[in-house]
Amino acid sequence: MATEILARRKMRISRSGLTGLVIVIFFFLLAVAVWAGWAGQNWSAADGERWASPGSTWWFGTNQLGQDIFERAVYSVRTAFEIGIVVSLLSTALGAALGAVAGWRSNTLADGTVLWLAGVLDSIPFYLFVAAVAFALQGLPWAMHVAMIATFWTATARLARAEVMKIKSREFVLSARAIGLPSWLILMRHVLPNTLHILLIQASISFVAAIKTEVILSFLGLGVQDGVSWGLMLAESTQEVLAGHFNNFLAASIMLFLLLLGFNLLSDALQDSFDPKQAAL
Amino acid sequence: MNQPALRISKLTVKSTLEPGAPAIVSEIGFDLRKGEILALVGESGCGKTKTAEAIMGLLPASHWQVTAGAIELNGTDCSDLPPASLRKLRGNEISMIFQEPLTALDPVFSCGHQVSSVLRRHLGSARNEARDRTIKMLQQVGFADPERIFRSYPHQLSGGMRQRVMIAMAMSCRPAVLIADEPTTALDVTTQAQVLDQLTKLGREYGTAILLITHDLGVVAQYADRVMVMLDGVIVETAEVENLFKQPQHPCTRQLLSYTTGAVA
Repeated sequence: MATEILARRKMRISRSGLTGLVIVIFFFLLAVAVWAGWAGQNWSAADGERWASPGSTWWFGTNQLGQDIFERAVYSVRTAFEIGIVVSLLSTALGAALGAVAGWRSNTLADGTVLWLAGVLDSIPFYLFVAAVAFALQGLPWAMHVAMIATFWTATARLARAEVMKIKSREFVLSARAIGLPSWLILMRHVLPNTLHILLIQASISFVAAIKTEVILSFLGLGVQDGVSWGLMLAESTQEVLAGHFNNFLAASIMLFLLLLGFNLLSDALQDSFDPKQAAL
Repeated sequence: MNQPALRISKLTVKSTLEPGAPAIVSEIGFDLRKGEILALVGESGCGKTKTAEAIMGLLPASHWQVTAGAIELNGTDCSDLPPASLRKLRGNEISMIFQEPLTALDPVFSCGHQVSSVLRRHLGSARNEARDRTIKMLQQVGFADPERIFRSYPHQLSGGMRQRVMIAMAMSCRPAVLIADEPTTALDVTTQAQVLDQLTKLGREYGTAILLITHDLGVVAQYADRVMVMLDGVIVETAEVENLFKQPQHPCTRQLLSYTTGAVA
């Protein structure tokens, strides 16, 4: 079905892009199943024996508390998607808004302020900054989200600014003014829609970045507070691996690897199909 | 015919980035009579386009200093109007067509959407009404299948077709004045003739006065009523078209003519 829609829209997608799409859709459905309460609900119950091997009862085995690793790994898909969606949507929206204003009013105070702010945020080592914000807002369930949104918007803002500056010198913008549209409406109606392809790709990139960052922060104990995530599973497994039990470690790593692989393949394919220079080849 | 559709007096355009440089357009003035086609000719860089953009109020104040004795549209001076009132005039009473039809339409919206949004904005038409009028408009600029053009995106159309969509957009509110800035420079000769025929036909029908900016004297001879010759930001000669070709007064005009006809001035 996906190929049909793409074909109708005259978009080409490579085989690897399609693989990525299938993987992402599979994980998304899994996340929906967790949200709906059909799967992964027993992630916290410690009702098995310690370090059971994978089998028909415990598909991926159990951890050192006797919790079902499969349930935990599946529930973590929900955590990953929740963070990915919230962070990528909000950081892309923030970046697009600030970047668009900066580009539209280039070489003004507004532009300078946005660039300065982005420069300052970019100059702080990324994980240090995110960790500092997450630490400062500790206790708030949204601390990690805020930290990521506060840093992820800069790349989107720079891209949006450059694209808006390019588009605003195009003749259709002049022609929109000749027709009598006010400035802000031209920005909303004619300039921003022309940057959507970039924003879509940026959103897919920050989705991946958000999931990776969540894992690292959770591993460091600054991430997910209530619930479970692949990062928390990896943190648990540091003890287990030393004792020779790899189930927790493998389950979290492989799931993370597959989802990121799928997303990277998909965003590469998106990038290719939106690039007019590639399309001409 | 007593009151001109557009009266310009002492219009000057200066760049604010180079304060010492001579004015791009200096103290020009002319009357555009109702329903006439007035050509503005001159070599590249003489200030034709800047004149048009200054009249339309499209030059950003950060880069350009525009002063005018008067810019009168149907007798009302609009040189000191606030931006909001100016926007109401633009596209409605006075419109403009640009040189590059290839980039003058927004690539992400259908042509029909772009034309009908002008109608909805200025005339407050409802969606369906604007759609019907747009299709009629597209028919009037010579499309045999206006329904298809309505749904088409700019990249699906040729240059000449896009320029006709631009004409439909500019003329949709039946403006009193249309400024056409080299509307056919980017088109081939056959398409050029078709587009100009449509444009002048619509102009006559709606009683729109057209300021036709061009450097093609062939176009001038065929379509214009009167002609102004511009050199270095100054209008050096204004004449009825016939007289200009018979008895060019200014050396610059003679030179322009000699390039076109191959005759030695």
